[in-house]
Amino acid sequence: MLLVKNVHIIEPTSKYHGKKVDLLIKKGKIDRIKARIQSDKYNVYDAKGACMSIGWMDIGVQVGDPGLEHREDLESVAKAAMAGGFTAIACYPNTNPSIHSKSEVLYIKNNTSDSLVRFYPIGAASRNCKGEEMTEIYDMHESGAVAFSDGTKSIQNSGLMMRTLQYVKAFGGLVMNHPHDKQVGNSGQMHEGLTSVNLGMKGIPSLAEELMTQRDIYLAEYTESKLHVLNISTARATNLIKQAKSKGIQVTTSVPAINLALDDSLVESFQARYKVLPPLREKSDIKALKRGLKNGTIDCITSNHIPWDGDAKNLEYSRAEFGSIGLETVFAICNTHLKSVLSLEALIEKLSRNPREILGIPVPKIEEGAIANLTLFDPLEEWTFTKEAIYSKSKNTPFIGTTFTGKVLGLINQKQSWFRS
Amino acid sequence: MSSSELSTKHILGIKYLTKEDINLIFETADNFKEVINRPIKKVPSLRDVTVANLFFENSTRTRISFELAEKRLSADVVNFSASSSSVKKGETLLDTVNNILSMKVDMVVMRHPAPGAHAFLARHIDANIINAGDGTHEHPTQALLDAFSIREQLGDLSGKKIAIFGDILHSRVAMSNIFCLQKLGAKVRVCGPPTLIPKHIPQLGVEVSYDVKDTLEWCDVANILRIQLERQDIKYIPTLREYSKYYGIDKKLLDSLDSEVIIMHPGPINRGVEISSDVADSKQSIILQQVENGVAVRMAVLFLLAAKRST
Repeated sequence: MLLVKNVHIIEPTSKYHGKKVDLLIKKGKIDRIKARIQSDKYNVYDAKGACMSIGWMDIGVQVGDPGLEHREDLESVAKAAMAGGFTAIACYPNTNPSIHSKSEVLYIKNNTSDSLVRFYPIGAASRNCKGEEMTEIYDMHESGAVAFSDGTKSIQNSGLMMRTLQYVKAFGGLVMNHPHDKQVGNSGQMHEGLTSVNLGMKGIPSLAEELMTQRDIYLAEYTESKLHVLNISTARATNLIKQAKSKGIQVTTSVPAINLALDDSLVESFQARYKVLPPLREKSDIKALKRGLKNGTIDCITSNHIPWDGDAKNLEYSRAEFGSIGLETVFAICNTHLKSVLSLEALIEKLSRNPREILGIPVPKIEEGAIANLTLFDPLEEWTFTKEAIYSKSKNTPFIGTTFTGKVLGLINQKQSWFRS
Repeated sequence: MSSSELSTKHILGIKYLTKEDINLIFETADNFKEVINRPIKKVPSLRDVTVANLFFENSTRTRISFELAEKRLSADVVNFSASSSSVKKGETLLDTVNNILSMKVDMVVMRHPAPGAHAFLARHIDANIINAGDGTHEHPTQALLDAFSIREQLGDLSGKKIAIFGDILHSRVAMSNIFCLQKLGAKVRVCGPPTLIPKHIPQLGVEVSYDVKDTLEWCDVANILRIQLERQDIKYIPTLREYSKYYGIDKKLLDSLDSEVIIMHPGPINRGVEISSDVADSKQSIILQQVENGVAVRMAVLFLLAAKRST
């Protein structure tokens, strides 16, 4: 039994919202919530007025197991998720082999069943995420895959995308696609703009994202199926989704946290830690993305967590791989950079309720008798992110040395708890 | 007035140089040009300085030009050439260079296919680095020798009109030229097929034209770039024949102009593609002067960096 004292509840659907209370956790459930609970017979954690919400969820995580364990294994990604406040993650199918059949879906689920963090595998839409042959989607769905996508790979073939959207309708499934037209993107290394011209670097035009966003919206409209436009980064893609939503098309979208904080001018240093996909765009895009978060166009924020070992990143920029780790900094980035954009309640909604609703997963509650699935955080604490403190196996992030406001303190889920020491 | 010392430790790109740096290099190159026309062409300025020429990409003239410049300054020279394929086999750039530096090299002249490879290196090693071309980013000494050659013909570059023709998208020479010419006050226009001109280049303050004749009429100097088929991973132009027909420059075209335009080319020339032989070999052409100036300018750069090193 665990008694968490002095927490400030942030959960608009709970009658305790905005109140300062003590919570008693018993057998993985919230046993009691009261202004004050007697403490002598329980393990006590004094939160000293920190905030507590339902547990957060990230729908944009690459795990390295199976096949890429040197970059991230299931245990290390769980630790990184915990440090980031996430009690649930949906993981990309881009492993080796890909999560492209029932076996891999069950592999992930069975190997993480005793973890504090719930893993929700995203099934590959195509074999080996190659964008060619359709996978056994129904079977993966029955085994627990929560959505279908080629993850970090965009589905280039419009016919395959259309048929995938059609096929998942049999069980009301969701297709996620990161919009990136490869032919237009043409082996680009960074956002196409003034900076890319200056650096002689092949650019990825915003158009590469916008064309595919529009294509996918048309396909979702045609098939009357559910689409999630995964990890957008441009102003116009935001607008296209806004229009699609207003037309009643079943589309949702997400943005990686890093794309809300950093812009393409940073690449001028030729440092590969700024090499991510979608690429860092312009300041005007960041502004539009923030507007999209505020007006509800953008439903949730991902870490777009792509772990790489040092050798894949400590290279000439154009030879380095795309991606950065992100699980441990999502909240810190958002809380620091979205202060004037989202209220704390609205931010937490995009990190907890919305991702689950997109995937059709039950949303935890804060009430007596509910399963304890909770995240504890302090939105005011200032702290500096250091390399030594990273839980992920990989250290590829541009935020080492950055000072943030807002820190995750701990979480409770699956009859377990973890508190930052 | 120019200062007597460069503002930087490396020559990574024209972008990172000041106008004063460029003028200092030119004045120093004036002296070295006089030196290399003497019967005894060698001076002892770089004695006891070891220079490594690292070429991760093919090069003939730039490599020879640097080597000559180094030898005429009495430097000790080591050459290393690796095709990009042997680098792909495993050893990273950092490993290769660290190995060579363990042998106590003072300066590195490097050509590399990755944009920013020199900036990457500069973060890891102590030697002075001269960029002899990094992918499609910069080729600063080429731009310096081009501007130096124009200065020789026209004097002060301020207000002069320079047109750069051809594959701007894949050209480090174009980028370095634009930065250099603009710093010296010249007006720059680029001209070529739309697929070979970066969409955002007007933001650099450069004019864009797709009309070769109109641009030739506008400019004082035409710098004609090579069509870099090896850098084009996909088709940007249908055929060389069509390119030559609509974007190539021949004598007939030049003769139809009202004024005489100076013709430049960084080499190697695809004769009959971007430029016809009668243009390349005409009296308007300063292509061979460019090559000669290349040695003087590179001597100046090496000399000034070595001077910076000893202070």
